[in-house]
Amino acid sequence: MSDRSRPVAALPAVLLVAVALWEVVATRCDATSVPGDDAWRDAAAEVRAAFHPGDLIVFAPDWVDPTGRLHLGDLIPVDVAARMDAARFGRIWELSIRGAHHPDTAGLDPVSSEIHAGVTVRRFERAPAIVLADIRDRMLGILTSGGGIGPAVELAEVGFEPHRCIQITPNPGQQSRITFPDLPLGSELVGYVGLSDVFTRRDIRAPGKLEVEIAGKLAATVSPGVDDGWVRFAVPTTPGTAPVTFIASADAPKRQICFAAEARK
Amino acid sequence: MFSRTRMIGGALAVITTLLVLTNQRDVGIARDELIYMSTGDRYADWWAGLVTFDHGPGPASVDKTWGGAPGSGNNTEHPPLIKTMIGISHKLFHGVLGDLTAYRLPGALLHGLLVFLVYSMVFQLWGLMEAMVSAMLVMLLPRALFHAGLAAFDAPIMTLWFAAVYAYWRCLDGRRWPWQAGVVFGLALATKHTALLLPFALGAHYVIVGFRAGGLRGIITHRWRLIVSLAILGPLTLYVLWPWLWYAPVAHLKQWLTFHLTHVHYNFEYLGHNWNAPRFPWHVAIVTTLFTVPVATLASALVGASVWILDRANLPDKPRAPVLLLALSAAVSIGPFLLGSTPIFGAEKHWMPVLPTICIAAGVGVVWAARSAVAFIGSRRSLTVTTRRGIMVVVIGAVLLAGAVETMTAQPYALTWYNALAGGAPGGADKGMNRQFWGVAARGVLDVLATDAPAEGTIPVYSHDASPAWGMYIKEGLLPKWLPDAGWEEGGVKASQRALVIHEKHFNRHDYMIWKAYGTVQPMFVLRADGVPIVSVYKRPR
Repeated sequence: MSDRSRPVAALPAVLLVAVALWEVVATRCDATSVPGDDAWRDAAAEVRAAFHPGDLIVFAPDWVDPTGRLHLGDLIPVDVAARMDAARFGRIWELSIRGAHHPDTAGLDPVSSEIHAGVTVRRFERAPAIVLADIRDRMLGILTSGGGIGPAVELAEVGFEPHRCIQITPNPGQQSRITFPDLPLGSELVGYVGLSDVFTRRDIRAPGKLEVEIAGKLAATVSPGVDDGWVRFAVPTTPGTAPVTFIASADAPKRQICFAAEARK
Repeated sequence: MFSRTRMIGGALAVITTLLVLTNQRDVGIARDELIYMSTGDRYADWWAGLVTFDHGPGPASVDKTWGGAPGSGNNTEHPPLIKTMIGISHKLFHGVLGDLTAYRLPGALLHGLLVFLVYSMVFQLWGLMEAMVSAMLVMLLPRALFHAGLAAFDAPIMTLWFAAVYAYWRCLDGRRWPWQAGVVFGLALATKHTALLLPFALGAHYVIVGFRAGGLRGIITHRWRLIVSLAILGPLTLYVLWPWLWYAPVAHLKQWLTFHLTHVHYNFEYLGHNWNAPRFPWHVAIVTTLFTVPVATLASALVGASVWILDRANLPDKPRAPVLLLALSAAVSIGPFLLGSTPIFGAEKHWMPVLPTICIAAGVGVVWAARSAVAFIGSRRSLTVTTRRGIMVVVIGAVLLAGAVETMTAQPYALTWYNALAGGAPGGADKGMNRQFWGVAARGVLDVLATDAPAEGTIPVYSHDASPAWGMYIKEGLLPKWLPDAGWEEGGVKASQRALVIHEKHFNRHDYMIWKAYGTVQPMFVLRADGVPIVSVYKRPR
């Protein structure tokens, strides 16, 4: 094919040997690149030494979460793991490997950072959001209409994440209304909504819909789709108490809509 | 001389079979294997009963063992050949090999056969060195080695697909009775429905070689007996081997094909997204192949393909155009997965027939590169025979070594493994590539469960995706009897004292069910493959 007396004739062989040797070395390096339990134990010890009840512990990248929970899961209550978001946490511990960062620490500067054989422990501190009311804790006394299955507070899978949320499955084409008659409000109502259960998301592709009425006025509309995950909404509010109604609807059957909201100062 | 070279191919086949059999001992039981094992036992019993006149071939007898809608107890969604082989193998060898290995023996033998066939074809076209290297590169494919160790169809269809391509190519020699091609095609059809794609490759190739040989007329007359063989003996072989077709062939063929054309889309993670409905990215098959074949093998294949393209005037066996045939075989096996609508779950196992072509191109490429290097150095200074051989060994040995290192690193959790281009298993996890499927990794936590269990009392285990395999694990002595499967979903979690989560993105929900029932997010053990979590074990707090 080519003139084998020219140097270029040897190039493919040189490249193949180089690629192969790189692959041999890279394969073994990759296979041993993830920090082991000793590093995690050291990192966990640092967290335990300064952990305060109410702190949030997160792990990054997300795939290392089981390893993180193996070492520090006893400091993570189920409700914290299934939190709505991280705004109410003033101190966040992030344990990460491979240079990853958890979304809950985005935009924050660490007050401390230590590396334990590949596991980086960062502590973040900030002023937490002051929560005046969490609708998940106020299910007694709600008013419901419109039928459907629920509402009930569930630990649900939404967007492959755990969330403690109010789940309702509205009848197709009908509105399921859930009213909190006297919800204490601050300056903002922050909420999230998503579609729970991966298998119904696969089999039923139509979105759901959640509307929020405050004192009878429509304040927000969110239409989470099957690939949207846990969708945030926020509404400015006037401090005081007011009836707040969440209206779930879907055109399709079996659409499991799960939502949570907090009134923040 | 030829028999000695044939012995080399045979030796490589035997080594491959032994490698598969050795490797599978640490590989857990895949969910679907249990179905194939149980139906295979029944199929084998039925054939044994037929030849010993215990029963006849009447409709009632056939329906009992072979009948039912796809998805029902007799597994009519998949053709019978491998299941029958699995059942017969178990009957014959369970006393020697144990139950599980006896079921898995046919897959191992067929993988050895694949290596032999690749060796044979390459030997006839390019020579001994290329044949040995190509065959060894097939042997050193991490994912293929894994799949060959399962009692399933994915590795076998790679063998039967390639066997059909090989037989077709051999039968293009103008022989009077090219029955071999038809029969082998029929065996492929009796292995897995993906063999239905083969006519697209063989047909396109036949049209081209026929046209080259005799113009438009040649398309009809060139090797018409071969086409008749494929068209008649192929379906006939499938019909003979599959009693379900005997009494209502058209209706049952339609049921079989409809099942696959309307198959549910399982969850599958690719580049960080959980896919379970079309449209799928067009590049799934390409990227997955680039991440699951050793990089040096891919690079060698690139060299080989370049040599074929740039030096096409000197391709071997021009009348039968084997390189074109190999290219068409690869294109047709992987092509449907570029459409965006073909199910992508299972990933590379569904387009594994592309691999022989890659390995043959790689074998030809690396040997060509080594010879070119020898020629270049030889043009500058005189080389002894030993030095020439040394250069060949270094170049070829480096490529084989890379494949061997990747293969050793991958096992026994090869579905979690990705090649160096992806960054290994951790790199695959970073990129959001699929972690695993079929629940095989549960095998790795059985000793943890057994060691932790108290000596008295029953400790039910929530095992979700490993649930179908639980009885077999107990039967194989890998779990004590007092660790039974707790059952399905929330009821199973509630009844359990221990719980597993086999980590796949869409299985996160099992974590959450366990957290809710156990009141803790802390597992007692996390099994990891190269640091990547693959199974968590929870213990119910007292």
